[in-house]
Amino acid sequence: MNRSTKMSLSEKQMGYLLIFPALLIILVIAIWPVMRSFWISLHDIRLNDPTKSEIHSSYGLDMERYVSTLPNLLRYIKREAESAEGSSKEKLNALQAQIEQTNTSLNQSGEIANRYQMIDQLLLDFKPVPTELKYVSLSNEQTESIKTSLAEVRAVLLQMSEQKLLSKPEGALGVIQGIEASIIEPNFVGFAYYQKFLTDARMWGALYNTAFFTVISVAIELVLGILIALLINRPFRGRSLVRATVLIPWAIPTVISAMMWKFLYDGQNGIIAYLFEQAGLISDMGMLLTTKAGAMFSVILADVWKTTPFMALLIFAGLQTIPQSLYEAASVDGATRTQQFFRITLPMLKSTILVALLFRTLDAFRVFDLIYTLTGGAPGNSTETISIYAYKTMFAQMSFGEGSALAVIVFLCVALISIGYVKILGADLLSDGSGK
Amino acid sequence: MRKHTGPLFYVGLLLFVFLVMFPFLWILLAALKPPAELFGDRAFHFIIQNPSFDNFVRVFTERPFARYLWNSTVVATLTTLYSITIASFAAYAIAWLSFRGKAIILGVVLAVSMFPQIATISPIFMFMQSMGLTNSYTGLIIPYTTFALPLAIWNLTIFFRKIPSDLGEAAKVDGASIWQTMTKVFFPLAMPGVFTTAILVFIAAWNEFLFALTLNTQEAMKTVPVGIVMFQGMFTIPWGEISAASIIVTIPLVVMVLIFQKRIISGLTSGAVKE
Repeated sequence: MNRSTKMSLSEKQMGYLLIFPALLIILVIAIWPVMRSFWISLHDIRLNDPTKSEIHSSYGLDMERYVSTLPNLLRYIKREAESAEGSSKEKLNALQAQIEQTNTSLNQSGEIANRYQMIDQLLLDFKPVPTELKYVSLSNEQTESIKTSLAEVRAVLLQMSEQKLLSKPEGALGVIQGIEASIIEPNFVGFAYYQKFLTDARMWGALYNTAFFTVISVAIELVLGILIALLINRPFRGRSLVRATVLIPWAIPTVISAMMWKFLYDGQNGIIAYLFEQAGLISDMGMLLTTKAGAMFSVILADVWKTTPFMALLIFAGLQTIPQSLYEAASVDGATRTQQFFRITLPMLKSTILVALLFRTLDAFRVFDLIYTLTGGAPGNSTETISIYAYKTMFAQMSFGEGSALAVIVFLCVALISIGYVKILGADLLSDGSGK
Repeated sequence: MRKHTGPLFYVGLLLFVFLVMFPFLWILLAALKPPAELFGDRAFHFIIQNPSFDNFVRVFTERPFARYLWNSTVVATLTTLYSITIASFAAYAIAWLSFRGKAIILGVVLAVSMFPQIATISPIFMFMQSMGLTNSYTGLIIPYTTFALPLAIWNLTIFFRKIPSDLGEAAKVDGASIWQTMTKVFFPLAMPGVFTTAILVFIAAWNEFLFALTLNTQEAMKTVPVGIVMFQGMFTIPWGEISAASIIVTIPLVVMVLIFQKRIISGLTSGAVKE
């Protein structure tokens, strides 16, 4: 008794111990990034803009930029002051004093002064500045004082340059803009992107394209899948060879199948385009990839070719679990083949079909590889799905906050679809098959 | 019972197989055609007048295709090994040990396997960039976990449940520790399931596109799918070379499918069908 409780306790601990690494990795590599995506989508992050390349929750200073531009400004003003006379000389000297004073007040907190020295040395040695040194956060008052001080200096310089009192006006004015750009603004934007996308025609278009593609291709795949499953369920010679054939489209990379189809659809040399034209289905070979309807049709056909095998195999496996005795009894009772199909086969296949539909619907909704390769969303965004739109926003425009908002929208749609299916399927999907 | 397998049935079957295989056959023809026959008058002819292996040679001599193949092999193999190892322990625990919360754990695993990749790409990209892990094998293997690990855990759990747990009970009675039960009794029986799952994970990792496209952009670090898509230039698409490369990648997969078709089919379908 004592032994067995000890045993079961250690079994439980062993269970948690064995499962821990897998759960930890899933948490860190899958769940955390999704939550992080949401957090990123609340910020204006642009990887092509150094001051916005990451999340800044408060004001800060790009020290590298600041350290490398400040001496330039002082040098420009000094030179101007040397060549100027009278009141403008005094003005320029006052400006120099003001900038130095602002810099000193910033450097009062020992840490910034210390970093200033270190970065200055690194820049002198032409060494890269490490990220942990580069950014320093500023309090609101500090930011306010620097900003007003710089604005005042710029206003004075601008005024003097308009009065033609400066020998090289563009020099000092350019540098002061550089210093102003080293002040980092917090880039939290809240739900601004989501609000924008609510009224964004391109977003709704992409969502419609995704839904259209998903519904049509999955419906065709289901019907064809059932037909193929019934076909290969019969005993015949070479059955395993046929099954292997059916597996091949599933096994090859999606992008390779997309490249193949792109060649078959090609407006000059594509055999499918040629056959379609000969059959009178299209008036011109180029229509398949250059018209809206043609492109959507092409994408769906390529997807059906690639993924119907998966559907067929799932349904085929489901067919094999239906007891033969049911059909025998039905035959004895005089049921026709059609009746048998609708009264026995389909009801018995229900849960298999639902699971297959769940997997396929989610896959189709996430579609990226196929469309990226085959059409890239063209012509005129008519085959652009929401994943493609998100990708383009992130990696073509480098606007990661905005793109992440689209990615989160994809995630929410996928979650809704899954919840819908799981509601219909019930707990069946997760039930403990071992009966423990 | 259904024995209507007359000649008509076989004709229909042949037509069906032809339709499924047609893109491959046509691509094979395109790969063997010299440029003069690939375009122009003879573009739509089934018979090649002067077949040549030039395209196949050019893929290796004028493009770093061997490098792409090597990159894909390394990344897919390491992803498979590491995720199968971790998933085996987890699946063993879920299938054979009794503790609370299994349904929740499986639910999490299934939910994660449905995550759209695009929803994880921005933080992963920013992280890899800041760590200097873009254009490295590690930088691809880590994000590949997002689909490889759930796939492996899910499939292995289903396989492991089919192994009669009486064997574990018997070993326990004989005084074997949990560790001994696992390594001596369980793993030998589990090998077929592990192998099948490994094939599925390998194919998934081999075929992955989005992470590879965004994370490994240097020519020397590209994987096969990205490499082939990037064959096309700004204005021209070298269809002959693309076809040859596609055939080179497809042949090993076809061989694998022919050899392991039973295993692959059981692996693909076991989750969806209640027996």
